[in-house]
Amino acid sequence: MAEDKPKPRPIIRIGLFLISHSLLVSVVCCTAGVLSLLLLPVLGKNTYISENALMPGSARPMLSNDDVSEGERFMNQILRFDTMNTGMEIPEMITAHIMDLGGEVSHHKFLPQFNKFHPLHFFLGPDAGTIPENYSCSSYGINTVGIIRAPRGDGKEAIVLVTPYNSLKITRAEALSLGIAYALFSLLAQVTWLSKDIVWLAADSRHGEYTAVASWLRDYHTASFGDLKHSEICAASNLSKMETMHNSFRHAGTMAAALVIKVTNRSTEFEKDALTIYAEASNGQMPNLDLINIVNYLAVHAQGYRVKVEKIWSLLNVWWLKSLGQLIEMLGKLAGSLNPQWNFGIPVSEYVECTATLASSLYNQALGVPTGPHGAFRDYQVDAITMEISPKFSSSLNNRQYEILLHVGRLVEGVVRSVNNLLEKFHQSFFLYLLTSPSRFVSVGVYMIAFALLVAPLPLVAASLFSDATKSNPDAEEDKSASKPASTLQPAPTFTSWKWLYAAKQVLVVHLWSAIVTLLPYFVDQIPDSSPTTKLSIWIVLSIITLLFLDSFSGSSFPSTIRSRDTEWILLKSVTVAATFIGLCLMSVINFATAEIGALFLVPMCLTAVPLRLDNKVNTLRALIRGACNVIFIFVGFPVTVFFVLKGALEGFDNMRFGDFWNWAESLWAWNSATYIYMCMVHLPCWVLCIQTLLHRF
Amino acid sequence: MEKTRSKTNEKKLGFWKWAIASVIFRLILIYFPQNLNLSSRPEVSTPVTSLRRLAEGYWLKQLSMSPYAGSMYHGSPLLLSVLGPLTAIKIEGQPNHLLCSLVSVIADFICALLIRATGRILQTARGLNLKFLGLDTMLEDIEIMPSGDIAALVYLWNPFTIFTCVGFNTSPVENLFVVLSLYGASAGIVPLAAFGWVIASHLSLYPVVLVIPVILLLGYCPDTPPRKLFLQRDLQKTGAEGSTKNHVQHRPLTNKPTEATFFWWRVILFFMWASIWIAYVLILCAISVKEYGGLPEMFKRTYGFILTVKDLSPNIGVLWYFFAEVFDFFRNFFLIVFHVNILFMILPLAIRLNHRPCFLAFVYLAISSMLKSYPSVGDSALYLGLMALFVNELAEMQFSFFLFCGYVGVSLLSPVMHNLWIWRGTGNANFYYATAMVYACFQIILVVESVNAMLNHDRKIRKLCTTTEG
Repeated sequence: MAEDKPKPRPIIRIGLFLISHSLLVSVVCCTAGVLSLLLLPVLGKNTYISENALMPGSARPMLSNDDVSEGERFMNQILRFDTMNTGMEIPEMITAHIMDLGGEVSHHKFLPQFNKFHPLHFFLGPDAGTIPENYSCSSYGINTVGIIRAPRGDGKEAIVLVTPYNSLKITRAEALSLGIAYALFSLLAQVTWLSKDIVWLAADSRHGEYTAVASWLRDYHTASFGDLKHSEICAASNLSKMETMHNSFRHAGTMAAALVIKVTNRSTEFEKDALTIYAEASNGQMPNLDLINIVNYLAVHAQGYRVKVEKIWSLLNVWWLKSLGQLIEMLGKLAGSLNPQWNFGIPVSEYVECTATLASSLYNQALGVPTGPHGAFRDYQVDAITMEISPKFSSSLNNRQYEILLHVGRLVEGVVRSVNNLLEKFHQSFFLYLLTSPSRFVSVGVYMIAFALLVAPLPLVAASLFSDATKSNPDAEEDKSASKPASTLQPAPTFTSWKWLYAAKQVLVVHLWSAIVTLLPYFVDQIPDSSPTTKLSIWIVLSIITLLFLDSFSGSSFPSTIRSRDTEWILLKSVTVAATFIGLCLMSVINFATAEIGALFLVPMCLTAVPLRLDNKVNTLRALIRGACNVIFIFVGFPVTVFFVLKGALEGFDNMRFGDFWNWAESLWAWNSATYIYMCMVHLPCWVLCIQTLLHRF
Repeated sequence: MEKTRSKTNEKKLGFWKWAIASVIFRLILIYFPQNLNLSSRPEVSTPVTSLRRLAEGYWLKQLSMSPYAGSMYHGSPLLLSVLGPLTAIKIEGQPNHLLCSLVSVIADFICALLIRATGRILQTARGLNLKFLGLDTMLEDIEIMPSGDIAALVYLWNPFTIFTCVGFNTSPVENLFVVLSLYGASAGIVPLAAFGWVIASHLSLYPVVLVIPVILLLGYCPDTPPRKLFLQRDLQKTGAEGSTKNHVQHRPLTNKPTEATFFWWRVILFFMWASIWIAYVLILCAISVKEYGGLPEMFKRTYGFILTVKDLSPNIGVLWYFFAEVFDFFRNFFLIVFHVNILFMILPLAIRLNHRPCFLAFVYLAISSMLKSYPSVGDSALYLGLMALFVNELAEMQFSFFLFCGYVGVSLLSPVMHNLWIWRGTGNANFYYATAMVYACFQIILVVESVNAMLNHDRKIRKLCTTTEG
């Protein structure tokens, strides 16, 4: 059979060629992957309005000075309630005003939801939370919901405006945002062009902005009245008669878009008023890019705002980024002089700024925790953003209320008018993108290249290691048997092509362990009165004990019949690399940013892992460097170290405590972030398996 | 002597320990189903196998309406009468559908035991054949895996089987009857084989193609090396009787029926029994759907539903997307094309693999699970379990690691893509369909490689025969 081996098919030949040069290919691919990640700011495209129906800015703003002064009066009235007793004054006042305008009002009472750990939340979608046992009537948050029915619509669609305020202690900025919403509401109650209902949610943020919005949305979509029976008990005690009238939950249609309007007191360092856009929802989901586009377009061109998105400030002064920017600028100029069509170069300052924004975008998406109350909408497939308005340099809100009311009101009116034009839900533009500035983005087709290049070596190396391991033994056997006289029977090879099953078993055991580690915090968290540091220590200790237990339970991984212990680690590494590849690819679909950042750590760690004893035996410079690299990668690859290194790099090493990691992990699982599952079920097992490879005994 | 040798070569696996552990694992999962919500996953339950639909059909029947009204239920009326009452019984404080899940667990367990018994039969047949061919010395050197035990454990611990078992659907029962017919055929119990085949075809239609492997199994014996070898061997032995005297004496002539004879009487008996069972099943069905349009209505709603691909809701197969996209006037043409695809492969495979009927059954099941209109992971669970019956023969299969990674990757990626499409709205149908196509590709590679490995194994045996003779 060996002599008349047919020539393999071309696709297999290409595969074999790549496998035989896997070292070169993997070095080239990894470098290219990192480089293309750094090039992403250059490759970003300018945003454009993709959906023609939106037509932003095509109509003249109708928000008049009368509406604005109405809003200002409303705001001053709110500010007069200085001392709050029950937290009912503002809802009542808003109710009265909305009734005057001819809108419908309802009150939505809710209790704070305690975030529970749902490891499978990602697959199941939003669910009804549990209500804590001991509550008091005064701890209710009360959202006020005003609805304008569209004169030209059929009541099937709605646009939501959200203004969070703290009902216990309202600030001037929050009052201003309520004023803006009221001014808009009074305008929209009169206009004739509305074809989608307008819902104004004055969210009571005493339990947090997100909680208020999320609980309203949950009740809106599930139509369950879980809180109602509690509120009935409380109704007699502290709600006025007018309240009970508005208790029924009012619905408008499905939501086309939602805008969260916030005003802050912090002034910016710029000459213009600034508008900060927050868009990241849970698990790195983004609203449709068109929504950001119209807000950006109207804010910049119609109202003269300066639009910002978050960026990591500490990156702005990094020297190597600057020199890289200079290099790119130079290359761009050179290319431009060769052919004027090649104008990819961007100035240094812009490059550095874009990189800082991109890094922040990546970081926020990777964290998987929403950056504001808009995140709650994304769970119901509603596109939403938070617009945060901050006054310009050296001015405060007090003397510029009127101006801000007018501009922001007109901006929101324009956005509402655009969304009102939509015939279908947002679908035209991108959902998967990274922002490099408010008007530039990197789409999925571009950033996937960086990731694909980074992980491409993994399957190659897995295949090459696998073929090494399977070839090394049977070849020798076959040669021997071929040289033997034909009369002796050639024993059939003993399952050489299934030898990987033992390594797969070892990998499976480690992954099983990682699943246990993922669930452990749920139990550790039940321990009362313990600091994060002790909890973290308990978590780590329990994890180590389980690992040792599982290791001893599963027994020796390879049977003694397979004597070739030197191929053992090769197979183990091959299976590890394959498992990591699957995990990273899976994560790149769930949350791209996490996978990209994770790949930066995991790929070098997996690829270089070689038993230290092997390096010791050879004892050359190359082996020494490889060993050192391995140890460094392993050290850097541990999630806890990653966390502290990154935190230290961003915030300084001064006030860091051991327990911070527990707090961070807790926040991740409380927000049901897939990053937590990635960290525990892909990153950690890979790290453990790499250590096992490093410490392999021959 | 035979026994001692098999003891030394076979590895102990602790079958019962692991089998019972798997049953306990299932019971635990059944008790906490609310977190998994598997019964609504498109990968696990299809319109044909879903127990929720069965409960709906039962409810309709209780209201004296046709169970097939409203295109909810598409299964057999017999299943409705057997499992229907179980769906309606609710035990206080226990999860719903507890009894049905218990039925699935029992079905899985029995199925595993039958696979194990089939494996035993195949293994003894293999040992006898090799001995007859004079290759029994080969046996001493090689480690022989107890293929029955392995296959049963693979079936029991396959995540696909577990999900199917926990996911409230009728696939475990359907799989049980398929395995029952294969067991009956390989053990030579004709009525059992006929019963299993009839019920399995009645429940899910596609096992109809198993009639060929079952006939081959009954007509010849369980899987053997190519029959030509035996003929050659016989000729040689009769030619040179003196020189190979010892060999002949050792040969257990009585155990080995004369090769290459076809037991026509068993096949005729099989058809007789099959017609009896068919008549029986049809009469029972006719009685139970008498008031609701009779048998024609039943055929239209069950087999018609399967063959015309009426329900285009997404699943892990390749047909739904295609028929959602295709123009209406081509629909009939492509329906024929897709179904004939399965039929096309039957004859060539039957000719090439006629000496290994059990393996042929595995190949048929794999192909039909790839091309059937409403596939679920339960079908994959069945053919993967059967594949493990041939561990010894497939020891040199290529790409095993690649296939394993592919199956793991696809089965993880598929729910994620579904989530992206249905829940998040950031993906679309193409994302999910892409995983379905990749899955189909891996199944094709699996079939091709396993058939390849099996043929190579036969070639090797032939080569060894010629070398020993020389």
